[in-house]
Amino acid sequence: MSRHRLRNVVVALAGLLAIGWPQLASGEDPAPRSREIAAIRKAVKQLQEDREKDRLLIDKLLNRLDTVETENKSLKASNEQLQGQTAQQIGALQTKVEAAPSTSDFSEAVRRYLGSHTFTVTGAAGVDFIYDRQTAAIDGVSNETENTFLLDWEPMVLYRPTDWILFEGVLSGSFGAAGTGTDLSTADFQIFLNDYMTVVGGLFDQPFGDWYENQSPMWVNRFVTAPLPFGVEPVVPPGEVGIQLRGGFQWGEMGQDLDYTTWVGNGPNFSEPVTGAAMGSPTAIAFSQTHSKAFGGRLRFYPLPVDSNIGRLELGASTYDGKWLDGDWLTSWGVDFNYLWGNFQARGEWLESYRQMPAALASDNRQGWYLQLGYILSDVNLPFLPDTLNDRIHRLQPLVRYSGVNQRAVAIDDISGATGVGGGGIQAGLIPDFGLSGSPALYAPHSREVALGLDYYIAPSIVWQNEFDLELPRAGGLFVASDGTTSPVGSTPNDRAFLSQFTVGF
Amino acid sequence: MKSLLLTILLATVALGAMARPVRAQDQMTPAEKRQLFREGAKLWPLYCNTCHNARPGAEKAPYEWDEIIMHMRTLGNVPPNDVRALLVYLKSGS
Repeated sequence: MSRHRLRNVVVALAGLLAIGWPQLASGEDPAPRSREIAAIRKAVKQLQEDREKDRLLIDKLLNRLDTVETENKSLKASNEQLQGQTAQQIGALQTKVEAAPSTSDFSEAVRRYLGSHTFTVTGAAGVDFIYDRQTAAIDGVSNETENTFLLDWEPMVLYRPTDWILFEGVLSGSFGAAGTGTDLSTADFQIFLNDYMTVVGGLFDQPFGDWYENQSPMWVNRFVTAPLPFGVEPVVPPGEVGIQLRGGFQWGEMGQDLDYTTWVGNGPNFSEPVTGAAMGSPTAIAFSQTHSKAFGGRLRFYPLPVDSNIGRLELGASTYDGKWLDGDWLTSWGVDFNYLWGNFQARGEWLESYRQMPAALASDNRQGWYLQLGYILSDVNLPFLPDTLNDRIHRLQPLVRYSGVNQRAVAIDDISGATGVGGGGIQAGLIPDFGLSGSPALYAPHSREVALGLDYYIAPSIVWQNEFDLELPRAGGLFVASDGTTSPVGSTPNDRAFLSQFTVGF
Repeated sequence: MKSLLLTILLATVALGAMARPVRAQDQMTPAEKRQLFREGAKLWPLYCNTCHNARPGAEKAPYEWDEIIMHMRTLGNVPPNDVRALLVYLKSGS
């Protein structure tokens, strides 16, 4: 109750008391009574006015309440309408999200964003550990047991300015026992004239046989090392600067193909004009005048149709010929095969070169070969092992490879004077390099090697490779000094090497 | 020798210019694409595994497969229809 109303009530009570008390005290005096009545009436009137004010206030509040209730209903209606609209909008957005552009639409959008000139970086990187137990020296060549970690990184840049031109370049950066080294492995333009003819110009892997072009990338090679004829004692030069014409076509059912490669290049080059001298690298060839260009050709034949379900067989033949010095020729030829059937794979090559020597020197003949077998254990299930272990076994690929080289002689300066950076398979000396144990036995004129491998595939292009090499060189052949004096190679050190490599192809 | 090389080069370019150009994938009909996809699914495990483990289409973006297939076409001398089939198959998975 407000103070104002309390005061009115008190005044009214006081008036009533004033009216009643004098009657009890003295009933004979009328004047005071009339004043009391007037006071009471005034109080009653005041009360009536207050009541009227309260009634008006209540009416006002009720009106306000009606207004607020009406507004609230209106807001509720608006809110419900908004909720409905929002739900509709969300539904529309969900429909749009679910109806996302197709892969081809998205691809087209990305292509437009990237422009017509596009780059892709692929390649490989790897780190390996090599332990080489060298049991003894070959005559005149020192030996020392080695163990070391090595690293190699080989990014390949593909640049496609249009759908009929591609440029590819491979840079190789390695950290080896002799320090860091960089190498431009390949750099060439590929011009696709039509479906059956491609022109390649620049620095490329030698398209002789199957190894240099197709098997040399570290994540592609099933082993850590190269087979002997493609290692430190190559039979044909590993690279070439020149121009190629190549292509392939289907002659029968799907899978029955024939392909060809022809090329012209700067030609072969050797470190010294002595028997057994090391092959020169493409840069050495470009630096040195070799007097003539070399010509090469390769045919590969695939007889099995895909639908026969008996695998894919490749049969190839290659030749490479050119003058290496004045009128002296290097002629070479080779055959190769590759057979894939399910989890089983076999491949092998045989190659030979014949080098005319100046004056009265005997010709420099070289032969090399390898046979490699492998089987991926993806269908092997051992019931007594848990699934997790069987899954690990499925990723394994046991391998075996036998390779050898026969040379009349090896130039001793090429071994002792090598720097240890073996770009392109050139002789690298008696210290390990990436993918090379550095064993003296590799340099024997009649080197032989049995390599046992066990690969563990983490992903199709991520592999942990392990290799155990047994070097079994045979006696025979000669070491030749730069002055032409020779010494027979008699001892046959049987080195053992273990190589473990983690490789990623990206 | 120089004249022989020049003759070979000119003959090559002339032959190339006369031959049918490589047909782009976006010029194929849906039925042709479906057929090529089926062929690519057969070729992919056989052709790729011949040299290295076959890599899934999801590893690369479609535009990257455009470049990588050109690189592999050169290295493998792959016949033209097989190249198209492999490209359709690989890009469908990317």
